Amino acid sequence: MAEAHAPSTAQPAHGGGHASVRTYVNVAIVLAIITAVEVATLYIHGIPNWLLVSSLLLMSAAKFYLVVGFFMHLKYDSNVMRSLFVGPLIIAILIILAVMALFSAYILLPRTYP
Amino acid sequence: MATQAAFMPGAQAKEQGVLWSWLTTVDHKRIGILYGSTAFIFFLIGGIEALIMRLQLARPDNTLVSAQTFNELFTMHGTTMVFLAIMPMSAAFFNFMIPLMIGARDVAFPRLNALSYWIFLSGGLFLNASWLFGMAPDGGWFGYANLTSAQFSPAHSIDFWMLGLQILGVSSMLAGFNFIVTILNMRAPGMTLMRMPVFIWMSLVTQFLLVLAFPAITVALILLMFDRFFGTLFYLPSAGGDPLLWQHLFWIFGHPEVYILILPAMGIVSEVLPTFARKPLFGAPVVIYSGIMIGFFGFGVWSHHMFSVGMGPVADSAFSIATMLIAVPTGVKILNWISTLWGGSIRFSTALYFSLGFIAMFTMGGLSGVMHASPPVDLQQTDTYFVVAHFHYVLFGGSIFGLFSGAYYWWPKITGRLLDEGLGKLHFWLMMIGFNVTFFPQHFLGLIGMPRRIYTYAPDLGWNFWNMVSTIGAFVIALSFVVFIYNVIKTTRTGQVAGPDPWDGRTLEWSIPSPPPVYNFARVPTVHERDDFWLGKYGDGHGGKPRGAPAPVTAAELAAIHMPPPSYWPILLAIALSIMVTGIMISAYQIIVGGLLTLFLMYKFAMEYHRPPEGHGH
Amino acid sequence: MADHAVPHAAHDPNIGTTGLDHRKMGMWIFLGSDCMFFGSLIGTYLAYKGKSLSGPGPHDVFNIPLTSYSAALLLASSLTMVLALAALQHNRVKAAAGWLTATALMGLHFVLNQVYEFWSFAVHEGLKLSTSLFGSSFYVLTGFHGAHVTGGVIWLLLIVSLALRGKIDARDYTKVEVAGLYWHFVDIVWIAIFTVIYLIP
Repeated sequence: MAEAHAPSTAQPAHGGGHASVRTYVNVAIVLAIITAVEVATLYIHGIPNWLLVSSLLLMSAAKFYLVVGFFMHLKYDSNVMRSLFVGPLIIAILIILAVMALFSAYILLPRTYP
Repeated sequence: MATQAAFMPGAQAKEQGVLWSWLTTVDHKRIGILYGSTAFIFFLIGGIEALIMRLQLARPDNTLVSAQTFNELFTMHGTTMVFLAIMPMSAAFFNFMIPLMIGARDVAFPRLNALSYWIFLSGGLFLNASWLFGMAPDGGWFGYANLTSAQFSPAHSIDFWMLGLQILGVSSMLAGFNFIVTILNMRAPGMTLMRMPVFIWMSLVTQFLLVLAFPAITVALILLMFDRFFGTLFYLPSAGGDPLLWQHLFWIFGHPEVYILILPAMGIVSEVLPTFARKPLFGAPVVIYSGIMIGFFGFGVWSHHMFSVGMGPVADSAFSIATMLIAVPTGVKILNWISTLWGGSIRFSTALYFSLGFIAMFTMGGLSGVMHASPPVDLQQTDTYFVVAHFHYVLFGGSIFGLFSGAYYWWPKITGRLLDEGLGKLHFWLMMIGFNVTFFPQHFLGLIGMPRRIYTYAPDLGWNFWNMVSTIGAFVIALSFVVFIYNVIKTTRTGQVAGPDPWDGRTLEWSIPSPPPVYNFARVPTVHERDDFWLGKYGDGHGGKPRGAPAPVTAAELAAIHMPPPSYWPILLAIALSIMVTGIMISAYQIIVGGLLTLFLMYKFAMEYHRPPEGHGH
Repeated sequence: MADHAVPHAAHDPNIGTTGLDHRKMGMWIFLGSDCMFFGSLIGTYLAYKGKSLSGPGPHDVFNIPLTSYSAALLLASSLTMVLALAALQHNRVKAAAGWLTATALMGLHFVLNQVYEFWSFAVHEGLKLSTSLFGSSFYVLTGFHGAHVTGGVIWLLLIVSLALRGKIDARDYTKVEVAGLYWHFVDIVWIAIFTVIYLIP
């Protein structure tokens, strides 16, 4: 859609809907809460390593999803934009996992080194 | 060309000098010609490097060049052929043909396109400048750590290689972003993804490979740069660093890179065969899906370059199985190409010869490749001339033959004249014979034990005869290029004038004049089918009649076309970027000055059309 | 062939035949490739985790409270970024410039925190680039992230300066949106780095 040549209050076209300011603030609050919980989890005495690591990864994945989906608008954008980002993201994650395996860097296993 | 000026906004419509018009062009067709000519010159340089190596190896205990020089020759030959010849030659075709084949008037970001070319030229010149300083890189085109560390390679040779590749990487990635957006977002109305020509599909997959694989080598080179200049320990065994980290990062790039090198040629073959068999590509959707699979799974096989480093049986098996699986979609394509020819009405043009040569030679290279996929077999073959034979069969017999097929096929569209078919066939046969005489014996040499990257050998090892044969073949290849160059020169003035459609083609580029006007399409076409142009000429055989000649283009339609004007920011920005990057091996002041200049020029580039003149949104 | 001439008046060269903006599409694929860039750096860090021969380890030196504050800064800056866009959409340029300035300043604060962190590691903890694999991989990974943030700060401040000079308005929404996408990406990379490098033991 062509953008008007004179400033106007017409909304430029965006794919799909649009989050409101209120949604953005809510998302920001949720992000702050998750971050606080993440940090607090570190200080839970005696938490098993596998539970610590998996809950941290899950929480950061949730934050990732919220920022990408709402702040970056990807939830409302076309499939093309989604695929252009998510495809490479998946490839990058798979390669990180493969490199970890090749270098025997299993962060989920109990630490046997100081 | 006078027509360039006619379609630009008033202020820039004044006539330009010829040199200035080339330096500031943003026309994808001119940029394609720049890429193609520059790539060909680098190709000849790489070829001379090869000839010197073959002369040195023709006889045992030879003293034509020293071991050091030989190391530089094989390093520069490989680096040049991969990054300065095959990739930019493919880029020449991407640039010229992609907009034409999708019915567009230019790429999505014309100035970024020019920028990619000038950065490529800077990188190529910088890399080859190393010869002038007597510091040509000597660590192999794959620069394994920790030979490349400051301790074992204290001279600037490796820095030329490292920084040159970083510069070239920027060029490739910018072009990748540009072509992805162009292909996804600028297709003519009605051209759905599955109606796109297969060359466009293979190019699209290649662009994704470029933008996803280059970051890995960028990181590998950054880690090397930090090791060499800032004392980090990434590749330092004495500090716990692992040279295999380099190998993994390099081959995570390097394997997709070989698909980057072959997929465009496969796309070209997929256009040439149907045209000269007068038959649609057999199973086009399957060829497309195979290309996509090769691209995606190409990220999962990289350690097949590392079977001899001791990764252990699990890793070896995983990568071995993945590598064998990837041969399947490749084989599918070969069967589809052969089926395209079967039952077709074949015209044996030079372009077709080269495509047929591609199929035969690439298949042979693929067979030796499948052998390498088995780790125990590869342990015998790796680091021997067997591997050298394999990759030359796929890269020369494959990519180069494919690119020449494209050259003879699209030459009339680009230049308006046909290359001489008689000379073309002579070129083909000399190249075919010379290529096989050079590289087939290298399979034998590998199996009887000749290692790679040695500058000479003892006379009693049994390698003398085939080395001499191989060298003779190399000079036959060289002769074939003399024929090609003569053909180009001869037909420049007196070649047969090609009309818009000399081959009775199937795709949109043949529907416009040769060479095309600056705006490509006077009227943006609407596409109904794959091979829509062909169907428009001949009907679809199911009662759909051929479309008659379209109504003539009106002056009003032409007046409505606006092409982007030339710009000098791309070439300036490319120079600034090179100053900044090369400063890493010269001085911090150069980095700072180059960096500030780069930032300033990026700003000017971005602001050039911030508020375009009235009537031209940009 | 049923052709049609594209009417000139409606032709915005930034919008493609899918109706999507070229620049937005280009930025998303750039961010996809940047995932591979940071993925390679994170992979390197994890490959070498725990393998340093000497020097302080991550949990000897990390200041989790400071780093958590930095993470919160970036998250907050993502909020101010979308608020800037919401304002610009309604042509409230001054408000947009204000929110963009807040975004840039929070980003700058993040970078200054990082500079402080690097300085204190080097001077007080004896952790330099050349100390150990941890030193090398930590500084290069987080340093390149910081460089990305710095680039973003410069970009945003340039937009602010253009806005204050009356050269930005609602017409430029997509340009600012594209800057926003870059900014949010820098934030999500930090989400990954914060968790994987700082939090996970």
